[in-house]
Amino acid sequence: MNTALYTIGLAGIGPVEVSVADHGSGQPFLLLHGGAGPQSVTGFAEKFAASHDVRVLVPTHPGFGGAPRPEALTSVGDLAALYNALLDQLDLRDVTVIGNSIGGWVTAEIALLKSPRVSGIVLIDAVGIEVPGHPVADFFSLTIDQVFQRSFHNPEPFRIDPATLPPAAQAIAAGNRAAIGVYAGTTMTDPALVGRLGTLEIPTLVLWGDSDGIVDVDYGRAYAAAIPMARFQLLAETGHSPQLETPDLVIHAIWDSADTDFAAFAR
Amino acid sequence: MSNTAVTRITHSCHLIEIGGRTFLTDPWFSTRPGYYQGEPIAVGVADLPRLDGVLITHEHYDHCDLQAFAAYRDQSVPLFVAETVVESARKHGFTDVTALAPWQEVEAGGVTITATPARHGVYEVTFVLRSGPEAVYFAGDTMLIPELAEIPQRLGHISLALLPTNGLHIRPANNMQVVMNAQEAAELTAILKPELAIPHHYAFTKGFLGDRLITSSDKNPHRYQDAARDLAPATSVRITEPGTRVEL
Repeated sequence: MNTALYTIGLAGIGPVEVSVADHGSGQPFLLLHGGAGPQSVTGFAEKFAASHDVRVLVPTHPGFGGAPRPEALTSVGDLAALYNALLDQLDLRDVTVIGNSIGGWVTAEIALLKSPRVSGIVLIDAVGIEVPGHPVADFFSLTIDQVFQRSFHNPEPFRIDPATLPPAAQAIAAGNRAAIGVYAGTTMTDPALVGRLGTLEIPTLVLWGDSDGIVDVDYGRAYAAAIPMARFQLLAETGHSPQLETPDLVIHAIWDSADTDFAAFAR
Repeated sequence: MSNTAVTRITHSCHLIEIGGRTFLTDPWFSTRPGYYQGEPIAVGVADLPRLDGVLITHEHYDHCDLQAFAAYRDQSVPLFVAETVVESARKHGFTDVTALAPWQEVEAGGVTITATPARHGVYEVTFVLRSGPEAVYFAGDTMLIPELAEIPQRLGHISLALLPTNGLHIRPANNMQVVMNAQEAAELTAILKPELAIPHHYAFTKGFLGDRLITSSDKNPHRYQDAARDLAPATSVRITEPGTRVEL
């Protein structure tokens, strides 16, 4: 793995610096983290790159992980434009974009930019759409304990006490929390997104933890139903962060997705 | 008069030279998410030669990229198309658009163009171009259907056949097959008995995820060559890279 810092020029925003960890070589994937920050996908990227001939690029969203965020970079759409431009700069083709939670929302917005460089998307317990009766859990009103309870099928191996973290780590966690608010707002939804998704023609795999307490399974089904020909797949004994809790299931679902159960398309 | 020749530009997009005229088939000059040639595009729209006609089998983007082809320098170039393409062709500015139904024919610069039957996921026609004793059959991406056996009976000897071979299946449509496969293309070769056959429509990919979720296909044209060797030994099968001009 190596990490590189790229400077991307974005119209109306200016130059944006983004740090990108680069794992493995081969078929390219862009892996986008959610509000839990880049470390929530790093282990998965390492595991995926070790098990298949894949190159997994993991950017840190500006504002997360202690990275600076330009003041004008304020929306999920801005992040999508940033990564679209990154793929241009790297001249990558046949890229599959994978995103978890807010990273899934960014992934959906990247798909809507319709770059030919992006050939497929994988939405893992993504937020972003509004589904009546199935709101995204209000992250900002939850205690840290409740966040862990809702994020994992079995939270115990992942539970930490933020008060025990060193000051630098606590500052990063506070920065992550602020960045979530800037990019996704408190509702973590865009009321117009679900309608826009209907214009997509891109191959789409929607993976959902069956124990997700942040965005429930019906929300996930609604996400898949909004995207023409998207395939929906539940992951057993898995919460909101499958790449952390059941990474082997996620890799299998992506790599072996040709073993299609055609009923998956008839929701 | 120059020889009959074919240059595969990419996928099902060819330049066919016959009777001293040049025709373009199923234009595809760009890419979109989930639609990739899987091989080079040997000639860009700006570098196309002067065309005497364009044949379009159906409206699917990988056969009917009118948005890109609209940049061709002469929008009065005659288009001979499936009827489902007419409206879109006119919307893209083409002024000389003729719909041909199966077995209808027209003449273009001394070359007789006959639409022939097809079956695909949408309405489609295929085409035979004839000039004197030489005839080229362009099969678009049809399935093998019994009606195709009428081609030599109705239209005489075929010299050169351009056949799809990837046996494309659409997974979400209950894995429905929509394009003939290598074995079926070889069976059609045995029916048409051309001197030369060139496969196309095999390198196409929907990308890493699309090839897993949406389509399955055979990307190896050698399977057709092997099958044709058994079923149609008198026909020479030539697998051609995009940009290679092959004379009959």
